[in-house]
Amino acid sequence: MRWPIALLATIAVLSFVASPLGAALGLDPNAVDLAGRLAGASLPHPLGTDELGRDVLQRLLAGGRVSLSIGIAAALAAAAFGTLVGLVAGYCGGWTDRILMRLTDAIIALPLLPLLIVLAALDLKKLGVPAALARSDNVSLLRILALAVLVSWTTAARLVRGATLVTRNRDFVRAARSLGAGVPYILRVHILPNVLAPLIVATTLSVGDVILLESVLSFLGLGIQPPLASWGTMLSNAQELMTSAPLLAVYPGMMIFMTVIACNLLGDALQQRLAAARAFAPN
Amino acid sequence: MPGRGRFPLLGRLVCALAVALLAGSPGRAAQHDSLTIGVTQFPATLNPDIDAMAAKSYVLGMTLRPFTVYDADWRLVCLLCTRLPSLDNRLAVPVDLGSGKKGVELTYQIRPDAKWGDGVPVTTADVLFTYQVGRDPQSAVANAEFYRRITSIDVKDDKTFTLHVDKLTFDYAAINDFVLLPAHLEREAFADPAQYRVRTHYRTDPTNPGLYNGPYRISEVATGSHLLLEPNPYWTGPPPPFRRISVRAIENTAALQANLLSGAIDMVAGELGLSIDEALAFDKAHGGAFRVLYKPGLTYEHVDLNLDRPALADRRVRQALLYGLDRAAISNSLFAGRQQVADSFVNPLDSGFTGDTPRYPYDPARAASLLDAAGWHPQGGAVRRNAQGDSLSFELMTTAGNRTRELVEQVLQSEWRKLGIDIRIKNEPARVLFGETLPHRNFDMAMYAWISAPEDVPRSTLYSTEIPNAANGFAGQNTPGFKSPAMDRLIDAAEIELDPAKRQTLWAEMQRLYATELPSLPLYFRSDAFILPKWLSGVRPTGNQYPTTLWITDWKAQP
Amino acid sequence: MLRFAAVRLIEIAALLVLMSFLIYGLLGLMPGDPIDLMRQADPRIGAADVARLKALYGLDRPLLVRYLNWAGQALQGDLGYSRLFAAPVWSTLLAPLGNSLVLMGSSFVAALGLALPLGVAAARRPSSRLDGAINLACFASVSLPTFWLALVLILVFAAGLGWLPASGLAAAGAGGVADRLRHLALPVATLTLANAGFYTRYVRAAMRDALAQDHIRTARAKGAREARVILHHALRSALIPVTTIVALSFGGLVSGALVTETMFAYPGMGKLIYDAVMGNDYNLALAALLFAAATALLANLAADLAYGWLDPRVTYR
Repeated sequence: MRWPIALLATIAVLSFVASPLGAALGLDPNAVDLAGRLAGASLPHPLGTDELGRDVLQRLLAGGRVSLSIGIAAALAAAAFGTLVGLVAGYCGGWTDRILMRLTDAIIALPLLPLLIVLAALDLKKLGVPAALARSDNVSLLRILALAVLVSWTTAARLVRGATLVTRNRDFVRAARSLGAGVPYILRVHILPNVLAPLIVATTLSVGDVILLESVLSFLGLGIQPPLASWGTMLSNAQELMTSAPLLAVYPGMMIFMTVIACNLLGDALQQRLAAARAFAPN
Repeated sequence: MPGRGRFPLLGRLVCALAVALLAGSPGRAAQHDSLTIGVTQFPATLNPDIDAMAAKSYVLGMTLRPFTVYDADWRLVCLLCTRLPSLDNRLAVPVDLGSGKKGVELTYQIRPDAKWGDGVPVTTADVLFTYQVGRDPQSAVANAEFYRRITSIDVKDDKTFTLHVDKLTFDYAAINDFVLLPAHLEREAFADPAQYRVRTHYRTDPTNPGLYNGPYRISEVATGSHLLLEPNPYWTGPPPPFRRISVRAIENTAALQANLLSGAIDMVAGELGLSIDEALAFDKAHGGAFRVLYKPGLTYEHVDLNLDRPALADRRVRQALLYGLDRAAISNSLFAGRQQVADSFVNPLDSGFTGDTPRYPYDPARAASLLDAAGWHPQGGAVRRNAQGDSLSFELMTTAGNRTRELVEQVLQSEWRKLGIDIRIKNEPARVLFGETLPHRNFDMAMYAWISAPEDVPRSTLYSTEIPNAANGFAGQNTPGFKSPAMDRLIDAAEIELDPAKRQTLWAEMQRLYATELPSLPLYFRSDAFILPKWLSGVRPTGNQYPTTLWITDWKAQP
Repeated sequence: MLRFAAVRLIEIAALLVLMSFLIYGLLGLMPGDPIDLMRQADPRIGAADVARLKALYGLDRPLLVRYLNWAGQALQGDLGYSRLFAAPVWSTLLAPLGNSLVLMGSSFVAALGLALPLGVAAARRPSSRLDGAINLACFASVSLPTFWLALVLILVFAAGLGWLPASGLAAAGAGGVADRLRHLALPVATLTLANAGFYTRYVRAAMRDALAQDHIRTARAKGAREARVILHHALRSALIPVTTIVALSFGGLVSGALVTETMFAYPGMGKLIYDAVMGNDYNLALAALLFAAATALLANLAADLAYGWLDPRVTYR
């Protein structure tokens, strides 16, 4: 449990601190230097330079910031959305529950990549979004976020629905209701605490999934646009130079790998702690 | 031991599989009697007249002969005909059509030995049939403009025919788009014109030898993967150099390079292969084992400037933008000097090229003074502003996913930033850029390329009535919005001027006007990179849009 | 159980109809137009030709009208023509479908072949070093980006060592089974390595739960041999969650693996769907997507029905 946390924390801290620190020091990860393209490791460039002469280390850290932000934001948003759906389904029951659960099952069962491609390639202008907004940097980030949430909310929904079903018929909940407690209170005080732990596990695991999803979308050209760096775009840019400058692909690939595996290990360790705690906790 | 029963069988199976896999490796061929070409696109349809696609032209270059093409020296040559009609040999006769319009009658003779792959000779019946297909509005022929200009065809005998064209242009003899369809096979498929594109033999029976009249015929089609070509038994020209040619489609360029290194493919086609910077990187790392040829071509990379934007309407700003770019340095560092800096839209190899157009060497000081003169001042900040307080900032767009262009974009952004111009990069997929943004002119600056033929008069790109707008259904290609009566006159005159010397003057004038007004910023002419095995010779990159495969019979394998 | 199945079938049908409407609408929201795409390749196609071609392909009518036309024809069994390949949709689907079934099927079998023994081995010795190592390997497999893995395999085994072909379906010309197997080796290896981790963890978790159950202890106490305990008793109850993964993978059998197919130039369903979507080929994209969805949903239903058979404790409302 310790070293995945340590690894994740190091990566996260370095990524998020690097950009403001770099800006303060006058370093620019986007600084093009045509004379020094594809250079090897040297003192000002510890990891070498890429195809435009930009420092690989700086871009790696800047890209880390983007990839991690998307990962964490999407995981949290997916958890929130999933929780909402699960609560509504579990609490209301009946047809609402049935329809929502069928929808959840469908999304879990369906092959998602082709659908994601369609969604990622949409022209927002046809939806009525004004042209200036449709082309801004933020929109491409928001688009990836939306797609990632669309893919990841189902686990949370199922968890929360299950917990809600179990809890809502308990005596103390009935008692609270008869005393006039409102639905939000019951949700917040009685249902959520039971479901929080597995939810945290699921969210941690989905951070890794979102980072992988972002890299696939960038590989297909539907992800982040240049010059904004992310590990996914660095990886897909470097793959064309794989036979001539393989290290350019190794670095972002390693970063993706380490972050995702750390998330997965962390989630797994949390899960084991949870199972152990449950075995000993009363009821 | 528990569980022992399961594994030995599994183990034996795995061993057998491994042996089968490794034992099947082919030895390297000592005789190079076959060639495998790697391309990045698979031709979805094979009918020469329906759906325009570069991969299709490449493959059909080996199997179908067009009447005329421009060769590697950019001269018009006859492939399927015997003689080019000209005014001198009186095979081209100008006709007065009344009200000042001039047409022309062109007489061609099909080569007497031309035969389809099933032995049926190529005759004027095929000419008439192809004409019928081309003119039918329901046949889904993509470029029907060519057929509309031919008002009628007279047939003299089995091999000779006369075209009546409604306009006399300087390139009257070029009927490069006229690729014949075999009437004896396709006539039944054309019984219902609306169904032709579905029932054409090129789709239902692509390996039928009667569909091809070139040195090769297509003998196997594995959709999405590869095509096999074998010599056409009825070909009477120079002998086909290879017993078999295989064209493999591998869209991912990194995988294409890996295939090249592993020997699965012998060569990469320049027309549909690696981008120039990938080829350069590959050349640097592995060039010793291959021959890499670079040929500058007709693809004119440029940045269109939307002349309706107030800042860009000022010619001084446009010239400053060009002075502020060190295009020679970009070409040298990104492309090892292999992509020639352009001064206008005319390629130096083109016969219309003139050397004395205004040049714009890298001169940031001059650029800065031009911007000052135009009213844009630094005012203490990083970005220049004018008197009204507007900042000098633009959006630069190009096709997303095209790495070379993205690289160049980022260089442009950083160079212009030094001049105090703020550039925001907004890329769009090609389909959006070409389908909507450019026709609707929702851009500030757009970087992309034109592909043209030698001596191609720039009517659709520079004529004032070709500005895409609601009135013409957004169909023109004058996306900057360039309106110049002088240019219109020059274009009109150049199209019908038959005297080469006078035409040269007109072209020189056009280039001077273009380079002074700068509706677009010329960047460079894109080069194609051909990666060939050392044992292959005779491949002559053409540099124009007619593929190298049209001259496949010149290719030779040295043992 | 029959009633349960019938109700689910109706739900699946309803879902497919809803999906078809959504996908058609989404495709309509894709930028550009098939004819505009054609214009890119040949700039000399003028306005008159564009209008003519659009009318010819029926692209000038409103989206809803086109959808209703498609729906009407589809219900009669006519899936229409693919604009990209100028062929009936069903015949365009056949070859890539076969290729995908072969590719996905073999990698699924291979991955399961790795997952079952590894998962069982890990479950039998919980918290041992073997268990830890297998667990770590699983996480590694799940955390690798597939296209990176594909490229590494190509570079090492094809370009570097030259043992296996880097791409394609089969060598041009005759080929034969051995040749097809050689071309399948690297793509199958990629997919197996990418998926084995996921399956192994599933099997491991299922086996651990199964081994901890009471009836296992009873069987052991009664003196049954360890192999029989595992194979007969534990595996049987572990099969229930394993059925889940089989069902979940069924959709993948038909929808292919886009990234792997692109890297290895393997003409399968994944690539076909991508090309159809990007090429705005409504008929083909819709048919392929709905087919993949229908397969996935039906497999899910089959899995649920299988639970009822495998686990006598489960009953259906």
